[in-house]
Amino acid sequence: MMSSTTSTFGAPLMRHSEGQVVLGGSGEDAVFKPADYPGREQPYEHRFSPYDFNGGTVAGVSGEDYLVIAADTRMSSGYEILSRNTSKLHQLNPNAILASSGCKTDMDQLRSVLDIKSKIYQHNHRKSMTATSTAQMLSNTLYGRRFFPYYAFNVLGGIDAEGKGCLFSYDAIGSFERTQYSATGSGQAYVIPFLDNVIGNRNHTEEKPTLSKEEVVELMKEAFVSAGERDIYTGDALEIMVMTKDGVTKETFELKKD
Amino acid sequence: MWGMNHHHRSSAPADPKSHTTRPIVTGASVLGVKYNGGVMLAADTLLSYGSMAKTMNASRLMEIDQTLIGASGEYSDFQAIQEMLEAKSLQMQSGLLQEREGDEPPMTARSMWNYLRVVMYHRRNKMNPLWNSVVVAGKDGATGEFFLGNVDRLGTTVEDNIMATGFGAYMGVPLLREKWRPDMDEGEARALLEDCMKVLYYRDCRAASRIQLAKVSADGVLISEPYELETSWAGSTDYIPLNTPLALP
Repeated sequence: MMSSTTSTFGAPLMRHSEGQVVLGGSGEDAVFKPADYPGREQPYEHRFSPYDFNGGTVAGVSGEDYLVIAADTRMSSGYEILSRNTSKLHQLNPNAILASSGCKTDMDQLRSVLDIKSKIYQHNHRKSMTATSTAQMLSNTLYGRRFFPYYAFNVLGGIDAEGKGCLFSYDAIGSFERTQYSATGSGQAYVIPFLDNVIGNRNHTEEKPTLSKEEVVELMKEAFVSAGERDIYTGDALEIMVMTKDGVTKETFELKKD
Repeated sequence: MWGMNHHHRSSAPADPKSHTTRPIVTGASVLGVKYNGGVMLAADTLLSYGSMAKTMNASRLMEIDQTLIGASGEYSDFQAIQEMLEAKSLQMQSGLLQEREGDEPPMTARSMWNYLRVVMYHRRNKMNPLWNSVVVAGKDGATGEFFLGNVDRLGTTVEDNIMATGFGAYMGVPLLREKWRPDMDEGEARALLEDCMKVLYYRDCRAASRIQLAKVSADGVLISEPYELETSWAGSTDYIPLNTPLALP
């Protein structure tokens, strides 16, 4: 149903009963006319967005001979919590663990695609991919969708061929860098400065201490408790995986549910 | 082909291909709970056409091979999903070469959920989604455990003991989370779902009080006939019927 009122500019302004504003005039006359109340200046169209932000924070720290990688377990959509116990960590092969946050459907697809590629590599080369090769594969896979990106923010961690811990952080289209520590996702702004301080030892005058993996695990818990305090998308529980040349252990730590 | 006149385009190029970007005929929430001995779904029987109540005899719960699916959103897309899953089931039945125990279905609920996920993701990649939120419920394979999961129009999957789509996610889930226990029996599950459906009828303007329940248990799948919920606005100060005498000072 259309009803006609006059805008402040005196030309007819058609308003649909559902609230949409249609431009006045027709053909050559059709011009942009501001609506008579704020927020309706532009015509708006229904548009399907292929992306949703399902939230979460992931972080990782690499050490001399270990890797600690952690992610919260909350999955949200808008102001709604869809799940309090979804895992964002996934071990791709004996040398690498992938942690992703962002759009869950893209994260799941990325995980499946990487699993398949890892299996094919394993079949063809009769060995598991190294961590550095996995890192490159992830980058290539993400860039392959350069023009319709996987909306996944990734941190990949593992033990490299020399037995040292390694960590790689990515953007959505595959740009990556090897770093000692990193965080990404909705709470990254709360976690990164904290890691800069305690892991990176930034702006400390005393020498940088060598941290054991147990100490790093405790620091990781502190980081996520802080992030959970201020970021609405981070909380419920924290999954921490620790990888060494001997294998992987997993721990779950409860976070606030609000 | 011989003699065909090949008409060449002489006018301006056609508009770019566009897809339907909004649902037209829609169903409201679908709710689900796992209980001790099975899993139960509930949905009303109303189809809406924008703000018009179009039909009150739609079935939004459906069984395929001992798995239940229920959907909210665009009803024609749900019908397409039904046809597709039935075709898939037939294809799998004829394609399976290995022996199956008795009446084992070719797809468990979980594998149907996974397959639906692939389909929904594929459609969203083409920017032409099936505009539904589909709840999948059934047996989880040989273990005898039950499964309850959801796939939305982007391919986002969720698995849990309680499930709700649409408005049900906002109004039903808090009630379901509060009352759910792993040892609930069928009667309690039904009472909980009916309670949530009543709340939705009161407060979701696209919901109705004529509902259907469906359950999967060890005995198999059962979809109930539609029935009316007992609802009443009496006792609410929000609603005062016409001709009620007002107590004036």
